Amino acid sequence: MKPLSRAEFLRMMGAASLGAGALAAQGALEPDGAFGAGPAEQAEPAADALGGALPYLTVAHGKNVAAITRKAIAGLGGMSRFVKPGQTVVIKPNICTARAPQYAATTNPTVVAALVSLCLAAKARSVHVMDYPINTSPAGAYQGSGIAAAVAGAGGKMVTMSPTGWATYKIPHGRWLHSWQFYREAIAADVLIDVPIVKQHGSSVLTIGGKNLMGLIENRGGLHADLSQGIADIASLLRPDLTVVDAVRILTSNGPTGGSLADVRIKNIVLASHDIVAADAYAATRVYGLKKAASVPYIASMAKMGLGRIDLTKVKIAHFNL
Amino acid sequence: MSAGPRADRPRHSAWPALRWARRVTQGVALALFTYLLFAAVQSRHAAPGGNVFLRFDPLASFVTMLSSRTWLPGLALAVVTLIVTLVAGRVWCGWICPLGTIVGTVRFKGARRQASRLPPRLRLTKYVLLVALVAMAACGVMTLMVLDPIGLLTRTATTAFIPGLDYIVTGLESAMQRVGALQGIVNALEAHLRGPVLPVVQPHYAQAVFLGLLLALLLAANALADRFWCRHLCPLGALLGLLSKVSLLRPVVGASCDSCGRCAGACRLGAIASAGAGDERSTQVVSSECTVCLDCLVACPGEPGMSFALGLRPGPWQAYDPGRRDFLVAAAAGLGGVALLGAGVWNLRRDPRLIRPPGVTDEGNFLARCLRCGECLKVCPTSGLQPSLGQAGLTGLWTPVLTPRLGYCLYDCRACGPACPSGAIPSLALAVKQKQVIGTATIDRNRCLPWARGVPCSVCQEVCPLPHKAVTLTDGVMIKNGQGGTNWMTRPVVLAERCIGCGTCEYQCPLEGVAAIRVERPSGIAPGAVAAG
Repeated sequence: MKPLSRAEFLRMMGAASLGAGALAAQGALEPDGAFGAGPAEQAEPAADALGGALPYLTVAHGKNVAAITRKAIAGLGGMSRFVKPGQTVVIKPNICTARAPQYAATTNPTVVAALVSLCLAAKARSVHVMDYPINTSPAGAYQGSGIAAAVAGAGGKMVTMSPTGWATYKIPHGRWLHSWQFYREAIAADVLIDVPIVKQHGSSVLTIGGKNLMGLIENRGGLHADLSQGIADIASLLRPDLTVVDAVRILTSNGPTGGSLADVRIKNIVLASHDIVAADAYAATRVYGLKKAASVPYIASMAKMGLGRIDLTKVKIAHFNL
Repeated sequence: MSAGPRADRPRHSAWPALRWARRVTQGVALALFTYLLFAAVQSRHAAPGGNVFLRFDPLASFVTMLSSRTWLPGLALAVVTLIVTLVAGRVWCGWICPLGTIVGTVRFKGARRQASRLPPRLRLTKYVLLVALVAMAACGVMTLMVLDPIGLLTRTATTAFIPGLDYIVTGLESAMQRVGALQGIVNALEAHLRGPVLPVVQPHYAQAVFLGLLLALLLAANALADRFWCRHLCPLGALLGLLSKVSLLRPVVGASCDSCGRCAGACRLGAIASAGAGDERSTQVVSSECTVCLDCLVACPGEPGMSFALGLRPGPWQAYDPGRRDFLVAAAAGLGGVALLGAGVWNLRRDPRLIRPPGVTDEGNFLARCLRCGECLKVCPTSGLQPSLGQAGLTGLWTPVLTPRLGYCLYDCRACGPACPSGAIPSLALAVKQKQVIGTATIDRNRCLPWARGVPCSVCQEVCPLPHKAVTLTDGVMIKNGQGGTNWMTRPVVLAERCIGCGTCEYQCPLEGVAAIRVERPSGIAPGAVAAG
């Protein structure tokens, strides 16, 4: 039997409990495995469970940000491959601070808006966009980054992460962390889309998809003792269904919060994969220019846990120039 | 007290309707005050007119102008309140003041009996406080402004009421979250309340319990007399009371008065002096104590009854009204206070943790202008601005101090300046505010994880909001990690000439308790200097 992805597992649970439907699915994921199954039963990660003839990773290059975003997704088989009608979607951009898009401190609003539109076109029941900023208020960052306006324009909903929304979950595959506090809605959503921007980062070298997931956990300071394994452990539970890397602009210094245009490089790239490790590895090496993806410690740790492929020579990559 | 046969006679009077108008006005004013409170909660913007109550508050306005020797046009609206008072008495106290409304609502059985036992001279207290307050302000010392009723309520609501309410609501919602069927309700509540009404981050205030209990004590004092605060303590009430001595319109006892005592029985302020039945001249309304609530006019059974009429002669001087001697003693006490506060050690050596809001440059000018009103605390989105207890000495009690471990100064926020009604915190353009040096961070290498223990951490560098970070990292080194292995590690260093002292690093430092990176008053440069970064 094909290993289950997180989304498929949820769908099965939802179907099995019929009337209780969505509530039961949430119940299954209640804190500390209140329901016997939950994430603990998640099958071994298998990054290439989907795919087949489709490219494993798509890289779209061009100046029209919305167009390259759509192209990167279309190249993977379209959003309907990831979002089924009636499903709930959580999109996690990087909105760590309140800076305008040209500073490359936060995910490009046009990329986020294009993804919202694609999810809605795939008949998602709801598309919620959220992050928890590191040095400002959510309202300030949502507005200052331009993401709030873009998401509203596309028909999605910005969600202010609520103090009541956290719960402790077991991390069955965790090597260092065996349980942690996650944002309940991100775990319970049918589809989780990780939308990082590529930035230099003090303690983790580069922040891309893996690091971006830290916005969905509480007590982030507690991860710094072993940041790379911590990120890999939380990624093993969150398992984004799709990772879309914004490399329209990248930040090469004074990351992750930026603020100086001198630190920004224009790349005009959006790349996407169902495999967070492959997406991060590509962004780290072929976009940012590192020699080895493994020199970003958390990418190496995620690969060691089998969360995806770090060796890009063995995956099918489709390039699009618009 | 005789009920009198006239009590049952049908009465055609406008007083009950006007009393309802008073109640509605009170409700509206309290609702507006509450709305402005919630509108400001971590909204990062001072709501337009968010400090409107202070602008109409003559104590806050004119005393601050006196203390700072500055004409503050933003506070000149208080002239309206003065005029209203000169026409119709303490309408502010009885119809508008939100603290007055709250104090008037909390009533205890037996308070009237208790009040009759209180020495009438206790009412003098508020005048003494007023005179001492003004005398101190004339010397530039605003310490007693902590007694302004609007400031008192704003401070208490911000530091105790809203944080407490948020704690309770969040706790209830968290409990409901555990019940599957209720999750939808919680999510809907959160979607609508969190942000617009409830703070996104639970606010914490060092003095929440203390300030909350102080207000509770104030309300409990109503057991001794209705509206204890308004009768005995409120310096704004005292100021308006003195003006009301000569107000044009006052409740006047009618010719038909047989001293039945109903008016005195209805009066919550004990403002009606009644020597005894039979002597109609003995029943008098003391206009300086009257808050124009109209209860006496409604209660009066006379035909014609009491009226609200022109009174050209100053109201009679009461035994508890301040005499010349009282004025002099109170003024002398105020000057004594100034002298004692001036001898405090905080004037010689500033507390290193005295970090003022951005734009404040001269501590002396700031103290002379700051109203202690709490408007800046109300709008600070991180609750980083706390009412000071010791940092500014007794002189600066309850003035705003940035306390970075409890909340930092948001790089993209400038809410406190526009919220400040007196300009003690200047209203700066964001780009200017972002370069104001309010403090400087230093790293304690004996506590910092990478420096002291070889544990990798760079949170302070990551969160530094400056475009050219004031916290940088040393080149990476391989170090032994104590468990036999090695770690690749960088260590944080502060570039003091770039640092503006916002405190984001101190707030986010993952150590328990005291942070390993701490912001202190800028050393070697004056606060308000412009950062090099």
